[in-house]
Amino acid sequence: MKKIRGLDCIILIDDDKITNFINKKVINRADIDVTIKINSSVPEALNYLKGMSKQPVEEFPRPGIIFLDVNMPGMDGWDFIDEYKKLPHEQKKKIVIAMLTTSINPDDEYMANDIPEINIFLKKPLTVQKLEETIYTYFPC
Amino acid sequence: MSTPPIPYKHTELTFQVMVDASPNALILVNKEGKIVYTNAFAEKLFQYQRVEIIGQKIEVLMPARFEKYHPGLVKSFFTSPEFRRMGEGRELFALKKDKTEFPVEIGLNPIVTVDGTLVLATIMDITERKKAEERFRLVVESAPNAMVLVDKKGIIKLVNSRTEKLFRYRREELLEQKIEILIPKEVRENHPKYRKEFSKNPEVRSMGAGRDLYAVDRDNNRFPVEIGLNPIETFEGKMVLASIIDITERKKAEEISANYTKKLENKNKELEQFTFIASHDLLEPLKSISGLTEILTEGYYEKFDEEGQNSLSFLNESTERMKELITALLNYSRLGQKSTIEKVDCTELLEEIKVDLASSIAQMNVNLKIESLPEVWGYKTELRLLFQNLISNAIKFRKKDKNPNITVSSQKINQIWQFAVEDDGIGMDMKFANKIFTIFQQLNPKNEYQGTGIGLSHCKKIVALHDGDIWVTSQLNEGSTFYFTINTKPQKS
Repeated sequence: MKKIRGLDCIILIDDDKITNFINKKVINRADIDVTIKINSSVPEALNYLKGMSKQPVEEFPRPGIIFLDVNMPGMDGWDFIDEYKKLPHEQKKKIVIAMLTTSINPDDEYMANDIPEINIFLKKPLTVQKLEETIYTYFPC
Repeated sequence: MSTPPIPYKHTELTFQVMVDASPNALILVNKEGKIVYTNAFAEKLFQYQRVEIIGQKIEVLMPARFEKYHPGLVKSFFTSPEFRRMGEGRELFALKKDKTEFPVEIGLNPIVTVDGTLVLATIMDITERKKAEERFRLVVESAPNAMVLVDKKGIIKLVNSRTEKLFRYRREELLEQKIEILIPKEVRENHPKYRKEFSKNPEVRSMGAGRDLYAVDRDNNRFPVEIGLNPIETFEGKMVLASIIDITERKKAEEISANYTKKLENKNKELEQFTFIASHDLLEPLKSISGLTEILTEGYYEKFDEEGQNSLSFLNESTERMKELITALLNYSRLGQKSTIEKVDCTELLEEIKVDLASSIAQMNVNLKIESLPEVWGYKTELRLLFQNLISNAIKFRKKDKNPNITVSSQKINQIWQFAVEDDGIGMDMKFANKIFTIFQQLNPKNEYQGTGIGLSHCKKIVALHDGDIWVTSQLNEGSTFYFTINTKPQKS
């Protein structure tokens, strides 16, 4: 298991437990030493980010990458970005947001490209290769 | 016996009194064209004293431009003296002592006296009438539509500049022509008949209701028009003022819009057909996956480790969910396809739904209140699904800690029935008010509230089938009220 500098934690934001199961499996297969935190809704994820500084770092590690689903009940991926923008800079520093979607609508990708908070736009399913490319790009050793 | 009256004297006196009392100017002129008598009104009108004018040539009462040829006219009148109007068809003017001109109408009457034949001219000042005519002409001229004034013989008496532009004729080419020159050949023949019918019972109305009307211009171009007819009384008798609007552009727009609607309808049908076929065909391989998963689960479950077993049950779950979604999609595309509009008694319908939902109503202690509901025209099966979905939702999204109260009510607003399904459940943030009607969209996590997220899309489509609207008002933790309108008309068949 390799340790990537700056990547202690990956957050998966998705309401679908099967997707989370698969993505967790993919991260494990990439053989990376990283904590995986699963948030099954946008409010849950926002609470995590806002609460990080007040909680022990062992339980609430700072994420290096957030894999964000677009289509979720209630608040969706776009709503997350809107709220995320409002967070203080300190809490967002060095976080890579990867939008992960089943959407076959190209407009989503155009829209994502216009939002600086979204670093990368990936199509589901997440694969070991997609994960490794993301890591090489944003966490070069 | 009293003295017998002297008839001649008496008659002369009476004649003089009568003439003086006449409200028109009367002037007696002899063969030489000289004034021999004027009445009081003529004095007033022309501002001359009788003594100033008697013995003068009649031409002193005319503008200078008539002086030359008028004596000739006097002469020719006396060669065949008979009652007639003077200057028929021409504009006549007279001249006051102060040299102001004014428009007049003059009647000529030969009178035989002992002094020979005289002519009695009756002169009417028509200044006010001319003013009124001029005002009328100005109104017509400034109208935004082409206006054509036609007399009872169908002769064009007046047109405005819009008419010149629309029909590409110059004004003088139209005046005194038959109105039929502006009408296409094929209806020209019958038009005089229509005109006569109109004049029998003249009223303000639009012409050719229900038919397409066309006009033709100078270059024989046909164009569609709308015509309004206004009968009016004039000094020259009854006339008809026709107002003509070129509706070429409107027709074009209507045609484009009709084509567009047709296209849209076709596309929509295609789309529904597509959804139906696609979801139908998608179910096939899915059923295979489902079957294969079952084989794996039944025959090999024990051979997998925990992760393999988890994967297998997730695979099964995903397949089932996809089946649900596709079936929902299939049902969605089928809505209203094979139904016909009928009279639906909503009270009866709700009673049936109550029976269908009896077990969950009892289980959740639902207090379902149905107020008085109307009969409406609609698709019965779909309406039942609509009410059932909304009530099921109200039960599903109840508050966990209390018995749900649900009220179904209706009211008629502007001739349209509006229904309301009100609950005191968990409610929602109004910012999601539109999202909930979108297909497969859900507000609450799947593990807490099961469902495909198609229920309200169904409702939306059903309401659309009934030409209505559906919307929600809600407050988080306070409950929601879903409103919808039903605006279906009985089907024509």
